[in-house]
Formats: sequence, C-alpha cells, structure tokens
Amino acid sequence: MSLELENLSILKQGSAIFDPVNLVIRPGEITTIMGPSGCGKSTLLSAVSGSLDRAFTLKGSILLNGRNMGDCPMEKRNIGILFQDDLLFPHMNIGGNLAFAIQEKISRVQKSQIIDKALKTAGLEGFEKRDPSSLSGGQKSRISLLRSLLAKPSALLLDEPFSTLDQTLKAKIRSFVFSQIKKMNIPALLVTHDPKDCPEGGMILNLNKEEG
Amino acid sequence: MIKIPVQDKRIIFPVFVMILFCTTIVAGLIGTILPSLNYLPVIGHTQVSLSVWFDFFSYPGIQTSIFVTLFSGITASFVVVSLVFLFISVSHGNALWKFFEKILSPVLSIPHAAFAVGFGFLIAPSGWLIRLVSPLLTGFNTPPDWILLNDPAGISLTIALVIKEFPFLIMVTMGAMGQLDIKKTLFVARALGYKKEQIWLKILIPRLYPHLRLSIFAVIAYSLSVVDMAILLGPSAPSSLSVLILKWFNDPDVNFKLLASAGSLFLFFIVLLSIFFVYLLERSARVFLRPWITNGNRSSFVTLFKPMISFTGICIIIFTIISSVILVIWSFSWQWRFPDFLPATWTLKFWAKGLVSSFDPVMTTLFTGGASAFLGLLLTIGCLEYAVNSNQNRIGQNRIGQNKTLQNKAKNYTKYIHYFLYLPLLVPQITFMAGIQLLLVIMKMDGYWITLMGSHMLFVLPYMFIALSATYLSFDKRVTDQAIFLGRSYTRVLFTIKLPMLLKPILFSFAIGFSVSVAQYIPTMLVGAGRFSTITTEVVNIASGSDRRIMAVYALIQQCLPLIMFAMAIIIPKILYYNRKGMQV
Repeated sequence: MSLELENLSILKQGSAIFDPVNLVIRPGEITTIMGPSGCGKSTLLSAVSGSLDRAFTLKGSILLNGRNMGDCPMEKRNIGILFQDDLLFPHMNIGGNLAFAIQEKISRVQKSQIIDKALKTAGLEGFEKRDPSSLSGGQKSRISLLRSLLAKPSALLLDEPFSTLDQTLKAKIRSFVFSQIKKMNIPALLVTHDPKDCPEGGMILNLNKEEG
Repeated sequence: MIKIPVQDKRIIFPVFVMILFCTTIVAGLIGTILPSLNYLPVIGHTQVSLSVWFDFFSYPGIQTSIFVTLFSGITASFVVVSLVFLFISVSHGNALWKFFEKILSPVLSIPHAAFAVGFGFLIAPSGWLIRLVSPLLTGFNTPPDWILLNDPAGISLTIALVIKEFPFLIMVTMGAMGQLDIKKTLFVARALGYKKEQIWLKILIPRLYPHLRLSIFAVIAYSLSVVDMAILLGPSAPSSLSVLILKWFNDPDVNFKLLASAGSLFLFFIVLLSIFFVYLLERSARVFLRPWITNGNRSSFVTLFKPMISFTGICIIIFTIISSVILVIWSFSWQWRFPDFLPATWTLKFWAKGLVSSFDPVMTTLFTGGASAFLGLLLTIGCLEYAVNSNQNRIGQNRIGQNKTLQNKAKNYTKYIHYFLYLPLLVPQITFMAGIQLLLVIMKMDGYWITLMGSHMLFVLPYMFIALSATYLSFDKRVTDQAIFLGRSYTRVLFTIKLPMLLKPILFSFAIGFSVSVAQYIPTMLVGAGRFSTITTEVVNIASGSDRRIMAVYALIQQCLPLIMFAMAIIIPKILYYNRKGMQV
C-alpha cells in the first residue's frame, strides 16, 4: 500500500507549472508539500485525486499500490480527501453523513455499530442524531476526517485541512488526524503553507520551479 | 491522457433544448408564412399569391386595430421600462425596496387574466374606485356612463400592462444586480459627491442594461401581442390586432385561417421592428448620453421627482393587491347596489357553484402545469449540470480567483442557452402557435394533451431556467467532489447530496414554472384545439356577459393555484429540514 508519483508534472499551455515531482509515500507515512501560494500545490492534489481541470495536462504517472491511476475516474480511485472546510452535508445528520461514506453492503445495524465505534474514537459518542451545524469547528473537523476514513481509502490527501482552526484547536486536531492515518496505515499527502503542520519525521517537499 | 468524463453525455440536455426550441419556432413560422401566401392545401388553397395580404390590409377597421396594438404595446413598454429604472434609482436599498423584495414572488404569480378581471372590477364605471368616492364627492347614485373599461384607445389595457410588467422587470433587475458590484460602485461614487439616484442613472443602469436587454425585448413582444388581457380590458370593436387574429383563427369559416396567418405574421413584423428600434435607441443613447454621464454634474433632476416616483411604485403594488381584494369581495357578495362600498348581503353560493363547475378545467390546469413544470425542471437541471461540469472538473475551489473563473465559464455557457430560451418569449405566441396548430392539424396530431403540455413547456422552461441558474451555478462544487471522493457515483451524489441541498430553489423554480403554465392562454386555445379548457381559458370565456360574482370565483381559483405551489415550496423544505440549521439559509 503505497502512493508513488513518478516524474509527475503538470503543464498549462505547454509549460510545466512546477519541476517534476518524484515521491514514494509508504503506508502510515505523511509527506508534506510546501510552497508559496500559487505554486501549484492544490493543482498537484487535484491531479492525484483525479479532478484536474481540463486546462491542465498531466505528465508522468501516479501509482497507488503499483496501479497506474492515469485514466481512473475520481470516484473509482479510492483516494480520500480532506479540505480546509469540513463540507459536512447540511441536510443529513451526523449519522447520515458517516453512513454515506460506508461502502460495504451491510445491514443497517452493522452500519450503526461501525458509526458508533468511529464516533467513540473521536470522543463524540452519541452524536449520530445531531445536526451538523450544531457542532463546534473542532468537532466538525473530526467528523469530516472520520467520514473520509470510513470510505476506507487507500490513500488520503489533505488540502490545508487545519488552516481554518484556531491555534489551540489546531494541535489537537492535527494529532488526531495523524494518529488516525497511522492507525489506518495508509499513505497521506499533506499540502500546507504552515511549517507547524508537518508531522515529526515526515518528509517535506518544497514545490518550486527552476527559473529559465 | 485525460479521458473525457462519462458525464459529458449530459450534453444531450442542452442539445435537446436547442433543437426543440429552434424546430418549434421555425416550424411554427413556416406554418404561418405559407397560409399567409394563400398556400394551405388542406382547405384547397394551393395558388401562391399575395391576395391574403390584400384582404388583410383592406379588412374593415384594420388600421384602428393596428393603431391600438402599437399604442398600447409601445406606450406600456416605454412607461414600464422608464418607471423601473427611475424606481430603482430612487428607492434601491430603502424600506420600500425591501418590501418589494418580499412580496415579489406572490405578486408575480398572479396570472394575467385574474389580474385583468380584478383590475376591471376596480376601474369600471361601477367599480370600486368610483364607489369609494361616490356619492360623497361625485354625487353619483348610478354608475356614470364613462367608457373606462375596454376604451377604444386601449388606455385601460396599457395601464394594466404597466402594472403587471413592472414587478417582472424589477425581478429581472434584482437578478442582474448580482452580476455587478453595486455596493462598491455606490461607495466610490458617493465618495466623489454623487447622489445615489445620479449614480444609478449614470453608472449602474447603463451597466445593468445588457443583462436586461432580452427581458425588455420580451416585455415589448408580450405587450404588443397580449391576448387574454386584451380581451378582458382592451377595446372590442375594433379590437387590438392579437384579439382579432384569435377571432379569425377560431372562425367557423376556415378561410379566415389564412387571414389569421397574415395578421399574426404582420404582428411578428411589428414586434421585430419595435425591438430593432429599441436596439437602435440603445446604441445611439450610448453615444448621445456620454457627455451627460461625464459632465460631472452632481445634482439630479430625478431628486425632484423622488416622491412622485416612489408614490407610483406604491400605487402599482396597491393596485395589484386591491385587484385581488376586490375579487374576494365580489366572490362572496350577494346583493351589492351601486354606490355602496361593500355588499349588503353575502353568500357562499357562488363559491359552491364555481368550485363544482370549474373542477374539470382545474384538473387539466393542475396536470398540464405539473407535467410541464416537471419536464422543465428535468431539462433545466440537465442543462445546468452540463454547464457546471463541462468546463471544469477539479477539487479545491479554495482560491477565490479559481472559483470565479470556473463560475464565469459556466455563466458564459448559460448565456448561449439564454438566447435560445428567450426565443419563445420574443416571437409573439400567437404567431408561431397558430403555425404549429396548423401543422398539427395537417399531421392529424392536434388536440392531444401531450402536445398541449409540450406547448406550455416552451414558455415554462425559460422562466424556470432564469429562476434557478444563479443559485445552481454558485453551488459549492467541493461538496459534491467530497461526496464523490467518498466513493459514490456521480448520479448518486446528484440525487442524494446536491439536489436535496438545493431543494428550496428547485421547488421555487417548479412553482414559477407551474404558475407560468397556469397563466398560458394562447397555447391552450390554439394547440388544445378547443378540446381542453384550463381555468385560464374559462376565466376569459366567462368574462363576457357572465355574472361578476362567478367571474370573481373563477379568477380567484386561477390565482390560488400558483399561490398553493409557492406555499408548498416554502413549507416543504421547512418540514423536511426542520432540525437542520445549515439548510435554513
């Protein structure tokens, strides 16, 4: 279970927006991509997730567990993503939001058991029936992560997921996210401009473009 | 390297809409042009000639009909457009404006025919307005023999058109305002010492105009070719051109169909010419008004008329509201002698009678309106889904810049669809509906409910699309992306996430589509081939010679149907999402 980017570059109108990226992220590892805004961090993530705008062309390859993701549509890639906003579905309760992510064809009872367990790990027992908008920012972030993980992704992408949280909350959520990724044992790719977001011992890649 | 997503099969939606709209209108025009050239083989006319046109222009009273059409149509359009611009200039942002925003939907949902009946009850010599001042101020104990209703010049029709079109243009303008940065412009220009109304007239309205152009053209086309309101309020002998055309078309002598074709083509010509004239006016105004815009003069003549303009706006709303109130009073009245302000005795008899006798037309109205609005919704969402997804396919619209370019792309695309959708609103209904009806007769396909429903859909779809597109296009794409990343298919995400989240605007759009269908008169009369009567055709039919009380009941039933839909559009999301705060916005 690893995520590999081989010679990956993204072209816009024929010219690369950053130098080719070579990366191997092993299960449970978190690699951080840093760089100033506008350097193409988010574009790189959209390439990996399969939602690249058609104005861009992709070069090189994206391998997930050795399988090339080149032509795979985004819903079949099995790559989870976490944005800076929680993006919980406002018309469903917390249980519904989490159930939406569970893919196995299992009974309702089994599903609710899974949801109970997941909520427990986040310290949010009994939240199934709650309205998403009644939750605090930190609670929403945790639910959002749980939801992504319940889809059992083979890799997780994190697009500045902590940037909207305040300083004290940030550290808590960060360690929760990182521990969950370790537990799931999946590769993760984190995009951020805050050096403090990088997990200890994780690889850091600076996205840049050589002039000339 | 990147595969074109499967979802682009959605292109069938816009393609279907464009083909449907173009072929119907072209077919309709052909079905009108040929008979006007004396070519209608089904009734034995195969010798192409201009004789029909000679007959048309020598028809007794035709000049008066054309004059009435031109006078009422042009005056109404001119007055309503200027009034809307002036009204926005003096009242944007104030309490009156906010009040307008609130009552706009119910006011717009009032069908033209129902409004015309109520308006007639107000201004007639025995109407409420004269009762209000009689006999105290006028000394009248019997209604005066003034010709206030159905006046030969069509003045009452013109006033009614202005009142009915005013809220429509206000709504279109409110929608277009989202495209401009109104607040910033006002701030900057006020800092330069300009008055609010001056900023609107000099800067904002010239910038808004391109967004309003098509709607203004639609108002012109509608005012020149209106039939139901013209039957109820317009002059009768000779009547306006559109009413005359309908009379010819329904004449038992089939030869009159040729005359009707020539007449409706001539009406189309008048509409085209008027639109072209307005276009020229716009072009020259852009040149001639430039010195006035840049002359630096900060005092505005409009400031002097501010109270008058606001007053006119208030009057329009009051007239619309009391036109409904008078219907309610009449519908319950039993004995009501002339100068009395209210009936002496009341009764439920006419409601009981009306509800029973209107049952079948109401059912037809419900089914036709429901089906055409449902079909319209399907096509609208299909087209918008294509617009949202055709140009882009990515996550993270987390930078404002990106978000804007994406939305602009989708907006550009919807602009093209707009042009097609406006086609049925720019060609007089009677012109191409008459042609379609003739073609349907030739193909032996006339008088089916499905063609009737389809003809309604042509007029329902544009309004639904206009109503839904802004909200739909600004839906945060990251939400659906997130759902897709959770491993769900596009279709499932559309039906379980996006559409439920957009439930309120979707139901509103449905209600608008339904109310447009309820208001249709000409398509029902022509395509329905006399086999279908809706509440609207009944209202117009019983208007001549029938009891005022039964007329009031019918007009109120017609008015209630759209209101029920709007009420449902408000209540259903409230019930479904009663404990979801995130959905209450």
